[in-house]
Amino acid sequence: MIKTIGIILIAAVILWIEVPPLLEKKYKKELLVFSILLAIGVGLSITLFGFEKPIPNPFDLLTFIFKPLNDFISHFLK
Amino acid sequence: MMQDVKINPYQFLVLVILFTIGTSILTVPSALATDAKQDAWIAAIIGTGIGLLVVWLFITIAQWFPHLTYVQIIEKLFGRWIGKAFSAFFVFIALLYASELLYYFGLFLNIHMLPNTPMVVLNILMAGIVVMGVRLGLETFARTAEILIVVFFVFFFILVVCISPEMKLENIQPVYETGTKKIIQSSIFYVIVSSVNAVVLLMIFPSFVNKMKQGKKTFLIGNLIGGIVIIVITFLCVTVLGFEKTAGEIYPSYELTKKINIGNFIQRIEGLMASLWIITLYFKTTLYFYVSVLGMAQILNLKDYRPLTLPLGMIAVVLSLVIYPNIIYQKHFDDTTGNSLTLSIGFLLPLLLVVVYAIRKRMKKNKIEI
Repeated sequence: MIKTIGIILIAAVILWIEVPPLLEKKYKKELLVFSILLAIGVGLSITLFGFEKPIPNPFDLLTFIFKPLNDFISHFLK
Repeated sequence: MMQDVKINPYQFLVLVILFTIGTSILTVPSALATDAKQDAWIAAIIGTGIGLLVVWLFITIAQWFPHLTYVQIIEKLFGRWIGKAFSAFFVFIALLYASELLYYFGLFLNIHMLPNTPMVVLNILMAGIVVMGVRLGLETFARTAEILIVVFFVFFFILVVCISPEMKLENIQPVYETGTKKIIQSSIFYVIVSSVNAVVLLMIFPSFVNKMKQGKKTFLIGNLIGGIVIIVITFLCVTVLGFEKTAGEIYPSYELTKKINIGNFIQRIEGLMASLWIITLYFKTTLYFYVSVLGMAQILNLKDYRPLTLPLGMIAVVLSLVIYPNIIYQKHFDDTTGNSLTLSIGFLLPLLLVVVYAIRKRMKKNKIEI
């Protein structure tokens, strides 16, 4: 629980640093991308630390996709 | 707003040197010694040679578009949507590599210096200064690199001088026993880690360096100097530790500094020497992170990349804890998928770029003739 509150606090600090200058310059697209990325970041961190649930590993997916190339390279190197 | 930063060729040279040494100084000696045994240092020499060819390919591509970054080149050659897909993949891999290096940093400190501190704390510390460097901009961390490269080479010189009495040349005999084929095969890994990865420097090289002609030279020279450092480290590892111990250690060059002993008085200075790796790791991580942030901003046509740094830093820390469940997984991944990933963004994609560029040029010519 404490970890979740900590992560939300960090996110609040990031919002406090980044949002006012963006609003001042009226960068709408930047604000949108920033919010999406921050939401992803907070979501991932709370899943990992707050709920202590495992996150799927992107390297597993990449290993699955790149299997043919891996086989080709290891064949070439043997 | 994003385009007004320029660094001079010397600063670029320093960045290339630090990038090339990067993680190779930690991991390459053991990877080379596993296959090439006592001829690991010959493999490092051959690897540097092949690496220069790869860098020459990058320079050729950079020459065609002197004002664009890699992401913009891809978009220009492949068209809008396919180009964006390729560059999104490139940016994603750069972010993954940045978090991979955060993991390396955390693991290294966790094993050797701060065993009771949780790894996430170390990763957050490193990610903090990386994000700070990227927010301050390319110019600032290029200048920092200019200062720290002096520290790096002083420590490197001290290391080489202090360890040289321990060298036993019997350890590399018989020379050239493993044969040409085996040596070249093992050098491929080294080429991939230090030269093919340098494709991310194409985000900086043509567009942010103020003198193009000198910039070309410095790319090659920087790669060569970095290669020489790796050759020296590998040679020292094999001669001092022997190839069996070098292959068995995770960080053979760290083991090497533990051996320093001058008159039973100057001993155990490996903590000082660890700053060598912290410096190079920091700059490699910062470059990867800068590339992923800048690339993402350019794909989405944003005016400024700075707002993206903090959220992406948060994601990178989480990824750094997730991507490698354990060290066996890491070793296996580095040997298989890691190589294919780097080759696909750093070798196959540039080759594809060359082919597409040639076809487009020819089509243009024909149109004019008709």
